[in-house]
Amino acid sequence: MAFLSQSRGRAFGMKMAACLALGVAVFATLAYAAGTQIFDPKTRKWVEYDRKKARSYYAAHQQVPEAFRRQIVKFRTAEKPGTIIIDGNQHFLYLVQPGFTAIRYGIGVGRDGFGWAGIVKVGRTAEWPTWTPPAEMVARDPNARKWAGGQPGGPDNPLGARALYLYQGDQDTIYRIHGTPEPWTIGLDVSSGCIRMNNDDVTDLHSRVAVGAKVIVLMQGASLYKGV
Amino acid sequence: MSSASASGSSSPSAPNRNRAAMLAALLATMLVVGCQSSGPAPDTVRNTGQTAPADLQLTCASAAATPLGVDSAAVLPVSSSQLDAQTFQVVLESGGTRANCVVDTSGNVISVQKV
Repeated sequence: MAFLSQSRGRAFGMKMAACLALGVAVFATLAYAAGTQIFDPKTRKWVEYDRKKARSYYAAHQQVPEAFRRQIVKFRTAEKPGTIIIDGNQHFLYLVQPGFTAIRYGIGVGRDGFGWAGIVKVGRTAEWPTWTPPAEMVARDPNARKWAGGQPGGPDNPLGARALYLYQGDQDTIYRIHGTPEPWTIGLDVSSGCIRMNNDDVTDLHSRVAVGAKVIVLMQGASLYKGV
Repeated sequence: MSSASASGSSSPSAPNRNRAAMLAALLATMLVVGCQSSGPAPDTVRNTGQTAPADLQLTCASAAATPLGVDSAAVLPVSSSQLDAQTFQVVLESGGTRANCVVDTSGNVISVQKV
């Protein structure tokens, strides 16, 4: 019933193998040229909201732009309250609430080649989780190598204050919704496919979500894709 | 006469010039204020991809369940794009079968077609 789709790129082989192991359908998307921009009141122009801009904005304001802060929004859906909807293109995570509303949180998502889509569920959750980098990450990232045996939970842990582990049936998809020690990365395409939130937001989400909750991850990418 | 006339003609033109100057200044101020208020608020963010809002994608997913012959819980939006100012197209997928859906910004599904 549920399935995963995933965008093209470097992680494709690794994650496709994982997806195929789960017996799910996999799709590749073509390049997605869109990006996030922020309106600069001084120049009165839209400028790219990239790593550098995000970091300087956070340093100046001690928070992310208003759009990426937690807020109640109108949300017309037939999905049950408690369902999580992830819109990686817009960098929003919605938690459906009664009365056609949702709590909207800002998120950081997978960089080019690491996006994916699917209908999954929250399989389990953890507070101040241990982070164990996957073997593929250990192989390609020297910084991950020293934590091959697992990094204990804490303020420097990449998973931050809470983690929601995404499952398909009884299988761990290897994707998580988690906190981050780098709150300025909210609104960016930075991760390896996980959905990151600032620690306050993921703690709030964790307190509201039940294990088993449905999670819909919308396609992160353009209108073109090809079946595999 | 001529000087009186000149004097008589220059006397009312000074207030006119003042009024014109004030009017011009007022218009300039309105233009500046108008420009400022018509632009985005400072630090507004946007995405240049113009995909459909998440709730509209899910509205299409629900609407496509019947033509696809599946439960709406198994329909996933896999892509979307803006057709015009009022409508979006959403491509949906379920078990290898696709459907195209057109939905407007108010959430009204205009069409659903199995591909």
